[in-house]
Amino acid sequence: MAVLRMRRVSICALKKDQKPILEALQRQGMVEITNLDSQDSVFQKEDLGESRSQADRNAGLGLQALEVLATYAPAKTSMLDTFVGRQALTTQEFQSKEGQIQQSEEIARRLTELSRFIAEGKGELVKLTSQTDALSPWMALDLPMNFPGTRSTAAFIGSFGEELTLEGIYSKVAQAAPELEAVHADLISVSKDQTCVFFLVPKKDSSRMEEALRSIGFIRPSNLSSATPKEQAEALHQKMIGVEDSIQKAVDEITALSSHKADLEFLVDYYRLKEERYENAGRMLQSKRTFLLSGYIPERDAPALEKALTSRFDLSIEFAEPSEEEDVPVAIHNNKFAAPLEGVLESYSLPSKGEIDPTSMMSIFYYALFGLMLSDFGYGAILALGTGFLLLKYKNMDDSWRKNLTMFFYCGISTSFWGIVFSSYFGDVVTVVSRTFFGQEIVIPPAWFTPLDDPMRLMVFCMAVGVIHLFTGLGIQLYQHLKAGRYYDAFAKVIVWYMLVGGLIIYGLSTDLLLGILQVNFRVPASIGTIFAWIALVGAIGIVLTGGDSKNPAVRFAQGLYELYNVTGYLSDILSYSRLLALGLATGVIGSVVNQMGSMGGGGPLGAILFIVVFLFGHTLNFGIEVLGAYVHCNRLQYVEFFGKFYEGGGRKFQPFAAHTKYYKFEEDIHHE
Amino acid sequence: MNSLMSNMGLAFAILGAALAACLAGAGSAVGVGVAGQAAAGITTEDPNKFSKALILQLLPGTQGIYGLIIAFFCLNQVGLVGGTPADLSLAKGVMYFCACLPMAIAGLVSAMYQGKASVASISMIAKRPDQFGKAMIFPAMVETYAILALLISLLALIGVGGANI
Repeated sequence: MAVLRMRRVSICALKKDQKPILEALQRQGMVEITNLDSQDSVFQKEDLGESRSQADRNAGLGLQALEVLATYAPAKTSMLDTFVGRQALTTQEFQSKEGQIQQSEEIARRLTELSRFIAEGKGELVKLTSQTDALSPWMALDLPMNFPGTRSTAAFIGSFGEELTLEGIYSKVAQAAPELEAVHADLISVSKDQTCVFFLVPKKDSSRMEEALRSIGFIRPSNLSSATPKEQAEALHQKMIGVEDSIQKAVDEITALSSHKADLEFLVDYYRLKEERYENAGRMLQSKRTFLLSGYIPERDAPALEKALTSRFDLSIEFAEPSEEEDVPVAIHNNKFAAPLEGVLESYSLPSKGEIDPTSMMSIFYYALFGLMLSDFGYGAILALGTGFLLLKYKNMDDSWRKNLTMFFYCGISTSFWGIVFSSYFGDVVTVVSRTFFGQEIVIPPAWFTPLDDPMRLMVFCMAVGVIHLFTGLGIQLYQHLKAGRYYDAFAKVIVWYMLVGGLIIYGLSTDLLLGILQVNFRVPASIGTIFAWIALVGAIGIVLTGGDSKNPAVRFAQGLYELYNVTGYLSDILSYSRLLALGLATGVIGSVVNQMGSMGGGGPLGAILFIVVFLFGHTLNFGIEVLGAYVHCNRLQYVEFFGKFYEGGGRKFQPFAAHTKYYKFEEDIHHE
Repeated sequence: MNSLMSNMGLAFAILGAALAACLAGAGSAVGVGVAGQAAAGITTEDPNKFSKALILQLLPGTQGIYGLIIAFFCLNQVGLVGGTPADLSLAKGVMYFCACLPMAIAGLVSAMYQGKASVASISMIAKRPDQFGKAMIFPAMVETYAILALLISLLALIGVGGANI
C-alpha cells in the first residue's frame, strides 16, 4: 500500500552487448530510461531517428495488412474478445517467429498490394459502368457510330439536348433548311433530356445538311467507334467480367493469406518493440566501444535486475538515491483488495513527492459507498457474478481490464450486503411476486431497517458515514504532517478543524434544534455538550489565530476569519453525502415501479409472461443507470470530498521501458504481484 | 362545482407529479440531446471512443429518472397507481404539489446545464482520452443539485404523506 521507492540506476556496458542488454531490459520492463544530455567529446548521442521511423513504417505496414484482412476476410469477433488478452509466447516461439519476419513482411506487402489492386479494379469497374451507361441511348442503332453513309447518301448520327418527337425533328430541320427535300430521320431513343437521331440525306445535300443541323443544336457523339453500339457494349461487358474476375481472385488470395493473421500481428509487435528500443537507445550516450544509460527503477526490483544483467554481461551497474531536485516518476503498489482502485486514483492524479498513496484507505470507502448507493441484493449479485465469471474465464485478460472488473466484483459484493441490510431484492420483487402469483404476501425483513419507512434515519447514517470519510481524509493529512515533522501544520491545518467540526457535531447532538431536524433518539447529555461547545470554540479561535500567513497582524486576523468561513465547506461536504440516500432510494423506488408495472397483468399465466418481460427489461435498464450513477458519484465523493481534505497529487507516472505490445506478451514478463 | 372543489386537492397533487416528470424529463431530453450530438461527432472521428462518449452522454439523463421517481412516488402516495384515489383535502393536495417542485425545477435546469458540461467533457476526451475520470467529474458536479432536489422532494413527499390534514 504504498508509493514504491525509486532509485536511479546507471549502467555502463560494452557496445557489442547493447542489443541484447536492451532486449533484456525491455523484457523485464523495470527501468524507465531517462534522457542523458551531457554530451562531450567521448560520449555522443547516436541519431537513431532513421532506424526508428523505419521500424515505425514496418509496424504500420503490418497494421495496414491487418486492416486489409479485416476488410476482405473478417474474422468472427464477439464482444467478449476484449477480455481475451494478449497471447503469451515463450522465448523459443519468439525466436522461431522472428526467423519468419521477412516472410511476414512479404505477406504484408502482398496484402497491401492486393488491396491497392482491388481498389484500382473497383475504379475501373466504375469507369466501365459509366461508359456502358453512355452507350445505352444508342443501343437501337445497328450501325457503327462513325457510319458516314452509303455511296449516294450521307448519314448523320447524333443527338439533341431535349425531348423531341419525330415530327418535331422534321419541322426543326425544315425550318433550318427549307430547301432540302429528301431528308430521312430515324429516332434512335428519346429521353427527358436527350433525343438521339439518325439522319440520311442524298450525298449532294451533305454540307447543307451539316450546316442546318449545327444551327439547330445537333451534337455528334464523342465516341466515334467503328463498332456498333451493341458490339461496344458487349466488349465493355467482357472487360467488366475480366476485371471482376481479377478482383475476385485478389479477394480469394487475401482470404487464403488470412491464415497468416497471427504472423502479421507478430510483425506489428516485433517492430513496435524495435521502435521502442531505438527510441530508448537514442537517449543513451555512446562512446566508441561502450554505452551509458541511466534511468529509474523501483528499489524492490533493483537486485533482480542486477542479477539478471551481471550474470549475462560484462558491465558496471550502479544504484543511487535520486537527488532532491529530480523529477522522480511515481509507481504505486497495493494489495489485491486495493489494487483495483489504482486506476481510479490514476485518473485523478498520482501522488506527488512526499505524499502517501491513498489507494488502500480509499478502497474500503469506495466499495462501501458504491454498495450504499446501489444497495440491492439482486443487482449486487449480478454485478459480482458477472464480473467474477469473466475474471475466471479469461485468465489472460489485460491488466487494466482485470483491475476494473475486480473493482466491480468487490462493489457487487458490497452492494449485495447493503441490499440485505435494507431489504432490497430487485426492489421488492419477493413481495410483489408472492402477492400477485401466490396470493400470500411475503416480506423479507431487513437486517436493519427499510429506508422508505424511515428515510431520516438513513440520511443521518449517510452523513455519519460522510463524517467518518472526511475525518479519515483529515487523518491522512495529519499523518503526513507528523511524518514529515511539520508539527505546527499538523495543529493548524488538522487538529483545530477536528476540534471545531467534531465539537460542533457533538454539541449539536445535545441541542433540541438539531435533534428535532434529524429525528434521532440519541441525545448527548447537556453537560458533555457544553464541554464540546467549548472545544469547538477553542478550535475556532485556533483557526482564526493560525489561519493567516501575513506579517501584518490585522490582515492576518482577517485571513484567519476567512479561514474560519471554510466551516461552511464542511457543512456542504457532509450534506453532499445525502446523495448516498437519494441514489439508494432511487434504486429501490424504480425497482418497485418496475415490479408494480409487471404485476398489473394479474396472477394468471399471461400475467406471469408480462411480469417476466417487464421485469427483464425494466431491471436491466435500472441496473445500467444505477451502476453508472453509483460509479460516477462514488468517484466524485472520493475526488472532491475525500481527496479535498488531504490529497494534491501531480506525480508523474512511472513508465518503464518495456514490451508495449498489442497482440503478444512474453513468458519472461515479470509480473508485479 | 362542489365536486370540482372536493377533487381540487387531488388535481394539485397530480399537477405536481406531472410537472416533476415533465420538466425533469424535458431537461434531460435537452441535456442528453446536446451531449449526443457531441458524442456522435467524436465517434465519427474515432469509433473507439464510443463507450466513453456514451457514458458522458448519459450523465444528464438521470434527472428524467429522478423526476419519474418523484412523480411515481407522489401518485403512489395519493393512491392513483393501481387503486382508488384517496380523499385529498385541498391543503394536502397543494402540499404534494409543492413537494414536487424542487425536483421539477432543479431537474429541468440542472439537466440542461449538465448537458452543456457533458458536451465540454466529450470534447475533452476527444483530445485527452486518458483523462476520462476527470471528464466524468465535471458533469457530475452539476448533478449534485438535482440529487439534492430529489432528496428534498422525497423527504417532503414522505412528510406530507404522514401529515394528517
